[in-house]
Amino acid sequence: MANTETALKEALASIEGATGVALVDYTSGMALGTMGGGKSFDLNVAAAGNTDVVRAKMRTMEHLGLKAQIEDILITLSDQYHLIRLISGRGGNGLFLYLVLDAKRANLAMARHQLKKIEEDLEV
Amino acid sequence: MTVVGTTPPPRLPVRDKAAGRHRAGGEVSPMLTRLAAERATGVLERERGTLYLTEGRVAHAESPLAPGLDVLLLTHGTLDAGAWREAVEQADEEHGAARLLLGAGRIGQGALEVCHLGALYDAAYFALAPSSTPGRFRYGTGHPFGALRPVAVDALERETLRRRALLHRLWPDPLPDTAPLLRAEPVAAPGLTARQRAVLARVDGVRTASDIARALGRHAFATLVDVRRLAAAGLLTAQFPPPVPQPPPGLTLPRVNDPDITLLKRLRDALEAL
Repeated sequence: MANTETALKEALASIEGATGVALVDYTSGMALGTMGGGKSFDLNVAAAGNTDVVRAKMRTMEHLGLKAQIEDILITLSDQYHLIRLISGRGGNGLFLYLVLDAKRANLAMARHQLKKIEEDLEV
Repeated sequence: MTVVGTTPPPRLPVRDKAAGRHRAGGEVSPMLTRLAAERATGVLERERGTLYLTEGRVAHAESPLAPGLDVLLLTHGTLDAGAWREAVEQADEEHGAARLLLGAGRIGQGALEVCHLGALYDAAYFALAPSSTPGRFRYGTGHPFGALRPVAVDALERETLRRRALLHRLWPDPLPDTAPLLRAEPVAAPGLTARQRAVLARVDGVRTASDIARALGRHAFATLVDVRRLAAAGLLTAQFPPPVPQPPPGLTLPRVNDPDITLLKRLRDALEAL
């Protein structure tokens, strides 16, 4: 059992190539916690923007009549990976974990596995 | 050929958007900023909600327009009502209800933190809404729930302004935020998400967005986002406030709940947005 701050810290420290991580409430587009990112990458802006990504994908799935849940969304840039892992919140809101990875150093399969574990520890 | 000099037509009146933006960028509450600077502890009561400060940070927020943490936790079965009541009754200044719930293993720390933080920002959005009366501050102790993860005042103000701007972008008319909501028949209804369908199903001409949020056990702000999107899609309208009571005898004001007027307002806003 971890609080949000230690869970985010752990994600940044233990996932190879991780440069930023955020826990985002996608019903409002707000980052509930962020870690890393630095001056060049505003995680709060990323949180609000990626809320629209999640929403668009959910709407498309509704249109297609797909009943399955989204586990994660992967966006690959030329030098970064962005990994979005969806979590259903206990307070009736939807959440996602947002992970920024350096493409040169990251192991994508490992990162997905570790992010899942962090979600379990967080118990949100 | 003679050139006839004509006076140019007067400029059409437009809303002063620059002034509006300047106002929105200002401080949300100068009093709150001052209290944060002096690291005050106590209760700030504003027109639409209450903020509980602990050493200049916001530890808790409540608003009659946003469902409380208890509603959010109990509606979804995260906690049972007995466990909540027990913790609230036993809470004292040393051990807030939060610590009692965590100590008894009723809920994980991550889950409680996230729920509490969500409820705090939600209530604070309404508490920090522009008000017509000045706020009052009472120095004293914090909230009996206990400080879980207090939020810095500037972070809260920034988020509140972001939320205001988001709603304005979705649909610039704030009336659906507070008025009873009515369903409307759109010309071409877009596809809706499950969350939006749940909101629309509870629109009955009586409930407001806050009532719907409470019925669904959801954040009020998230419900406002859905409501404004549904209004933009033409699926619902706000019931206009009743006409001013006691109209002068012999003169009856028309009820302005006309879909044509709504359409004209949408058209005006769309033109202004060009």
